[in-house]
Amino acid sequence: MIPMLGRALVLLALLAASGGALVGFATGARPTALGWLWARRLAYAFAAFMALANLLMEYALLSHDFSVSYVAHVGSRSVPTWVSMVSLWSSLEGSILFWGLVMGVYVAVATRQNRDKHPEYMPYAVGVWLACGAFFSFLLAGPAQPFATVPGPPLDGPGPNALLQNHFLMVIHPPFLYSGYVGMTIPFGLACAALLVGRLGHDFIRPLRNFLLLPWIFLTVAIVLGGWWAYEVLGWGGYWAWDPVENASFLPWLTATAALHSALLVERKGVLKAWTVTLVIGTYLLTILGTFMTRSGVFNSVHSFTQSAIGPTILVFLAAALIFAVVLLTLRVNALAPEGRLETGPSRDVVFLVQNLLFVLFTFTVLLGTVFPLVVEAARGVQMSVGRPYFDRMSVPIGVCLLFVMGVGPALPWGRATGRQLRSALLPPLFTAAALAVLGFVLGVRNPWTLLALFFGGFTAQVTVSELLLPVRQRMRSHGESFLEAFGQARQRGQRRFGAYIVHAGALLAIVAIAVSSTMGTSKEIQLRQGESTTLGAYSLTFVNAERVSEPHRESVLARMDVSKNGRPIGSLYPRMNQYESQREPIGTPAVRTSLTEDLYLSIHNIDPGNRTVGLLVLVNPMVGWIWIATAIMALGGLLALMPAWRGARVPVTERARVATASPEGSS
Amino acid sequence: MATAPLPDAPARASRVNPWVLGAGLAVVVPLLAVLVLNLGRDPHSIRSPLVGRAAPAFSLAPVGGGAPVSLASLRGRPVVINFWATWCVPCFEEHAALTASARTFGDVQFLGVVYEDDEARTKAFLADRGSSYPALLDPDGRTAIAYGVFGVPETFFIDGAGRIAEKFVGPLNRATIASLIAKAKGGGP
Repeated sequence: MIPMLGRALVLLALLAASGGALVGFATGARPTALGWLWARRLAYAFAAFMALANLLMEYALLSHDFSVSYVAHVGSRSVPTWVSMVSLWSSLEGSILFWGLVMGVYVAVATRQNRDKHPEYMPYAVGVWLACGAFFSFLLAGPAQPFATVPGPPLDGPGPNALLQNHFLMVIHPPFLYSGYVGMTIPFGLACAALLVGRLGHDFIRPLRNFLLLPWIFLTVAIVLGGWWAYEVLGWGGYWAWDPVENASFLPWLTATAALHSALLVERKGVLKAWTVTLVIGTYLLTILGTFMTRSGVFNSVHSFTQSAIGPTILVFLAAALIFAVVLLTLRVNALAPEGRLETGPSRDVVFLVQNLLFVLFTFTVLLGTVFPLVVEAARGVQMSVGRPYFDRMSVPIGVCLLFVMGVGPALPWGRATGRQLRSALLPPLFTAAALAVLGFVLGVRNPWTLLALFFGGFTAQVTVSELLLPVRQRMRSHGESFLEAFGQARQRGQRRFGAYIVHAGALLAIVAIAVSSTMGTSKEIQLRQGESTTLGAYSLTFVNAERVSEPHRESVLARMDVSKNGRPIGSLYPRMNQYESQREPIGTPAVRTSLTEDLYLSIHNIDPGNRTVGLLVLVNPMVGWIWIATAIMALGGLLALMPAWRGARVPVTERARVATASPEGSS
Repeated sequence: MATAPLPDAPARASRVNPWVLGAGLAVVVPLLAVLVLNLGRDPHSIRSPLVGRAAPAFSLAPVGGGAPVSLASLRGRPVVINFWATWCVPCFEEHAALTASARTFGDVQFLGVVYEDDEARTKAFLADRGSSYPALLDPDGRTAIAYGVFGVPETFFIDGAGRIAEKFVGPLNRATIASLIAKAKGGGP
């Protein structure tokens, strides 16, 4: 019953999406009110069918209906209810179904927000979104079917992948990642619409930017959540390994970040339109490439649990999307003529351009390193891998340059700067720059790249803070307001700008924290017998005992380690080894004691309760906690920058008509 | 809405931009080519450097006693060497296929090499599930090390000249066994 109903919903979603795509394109080419009405209706229908299919799967998972193939594959009666709920995205078919839900929500919201705006663009945009939606519905209808009927259903199932049950971060990481990945469909559709119409008007760049910013926030958080999960679970002590699947999420982030900045130049100066549209389209294509990399099993990755046989289908879609993009750009890009001129002298304009080129260079560097093993194997039949040394050597200089540019750009004025302006903009931040570098040196930093990161980090920090406070100071002077009053007013009036600098503050903090944590850590591997102690830095660790713990879905062995710092006891840590029923290899869970200055990280290599010995990896990682804090700051800044647009979209229609007469954009 | 023609209908400048086309193709074509060429690839199977070389010699005692079996004494006919253990689940799966194939291919010598397991358990396993070829004991794992085994099951197909023709990782089925034996006999695929 449920399998049939589910298949019907998937087919209806496929029908709505393919029909809506056709109607959208037809209406874009020859606009009619009826066509636009039906394009919208079909978009909402697609979203509704996807939502219902997801609800149905949740019901099947919670009611342990093993006649549904996906439930038989990942369900289990012995797992807690919350595990059953999140099993929706624990394996391939379910995660594509969930993907469809996220897509439906995005398409419905974007359609509704723009239902009476941008009439020449929107039908094309809906057409592109639903064409992408049709592809994922097709995957669900055929190659990755979650609702197949299991004849003679089993009484119980194996439960989801143990990694999903092992840590809450793995539960929330996929929804963030999908919200980031899938969300890129919306700006992609808008960019394609701009090309198809042959115009990227000043009014249309706003929805493009805002719908790029929203998934960008999700993607930023998702990437770091993935790193955090690796850090808290995998037990090698790091958070980023340049694994192909990690790169898959990082590549579209790079181009999306570049596009967010170049869109600002489109908005302010009417230049870089074709470039921005290309970056947005490239971002979407990279998400599809990333999906292929994760799902096809072609790339060697630690994330092998996501492999499947849908690789060829995704590759066909990727090829079609790539060819569509190249043809569309080739034919239509000349129509997006610049309206203004890019300043060539020392100016913020040029720094924006340099920043964009750095991001694109970064993208190609990572892309090359990721696909290089495939090139070599295809050409010479030799197996090889590109490891961290390549990525680290390439990304460190680019990252440091980006940090520098993030300080110089905002310090410079729009348009050509005079020599006096240059000096007054660039000299004062050198003070904080030098101070931070000296502080680092005194605290023991000797790595030249880390010192450089601290130097530029200090520079950028001072510029960012003074840019944040600039409107506040102006208001305090001109309106005679108190600091808090002026801060509140300035934040409200220039919220997009305010949010953007908060993101910068988070980003610079993240880069500095990454630089320090990756070069200033200490570690040791040691084998301890019960009662023995070891020291690392200021910490002293004692192996008190090994304990067995039984839970319904796993058996664990814990090592109790008493920790003292500088001779004072600071409590116990319990790194553990977990044995899941469904998994042969045990999964370790390191114990991490996080503080603002450094983390103490204990990971078990081997533990033998009978023998009373434990093999431990002990690390002291400075500043890692700041990476997570910095990401929260970036996400907060992004949300702040997005809020005016959101409020604008929710203004009642009559109100909006009044606003629209006052300003041609009408959206904020 | 959207029925009236727009006041500033866009200039339909649909001139082909050769630079964009060139740059697009320069990125897209190699990328797609590489992905397509690698579609069937499994990065987790690492090819053994031993394939094509002489199989390492051994002389091992069979389970249940008897004269040691040496590889050199089997020169002239193809040999299939299967590294396995009773604690290995995929080894159960392929056991029937191997036993049946050993009966079918009378001209091929099948040998099992017991990997990190003890003789009593092995004997019980074979008594329970049947056997049609010798299982050899490799007490200190030297033969497994010589063959670069890093997990079970792994199976080596050796031709009549004593060279390793093919190595297979994971459980075998009868069709795969037959095609790999054909390769060891020099008949392709």
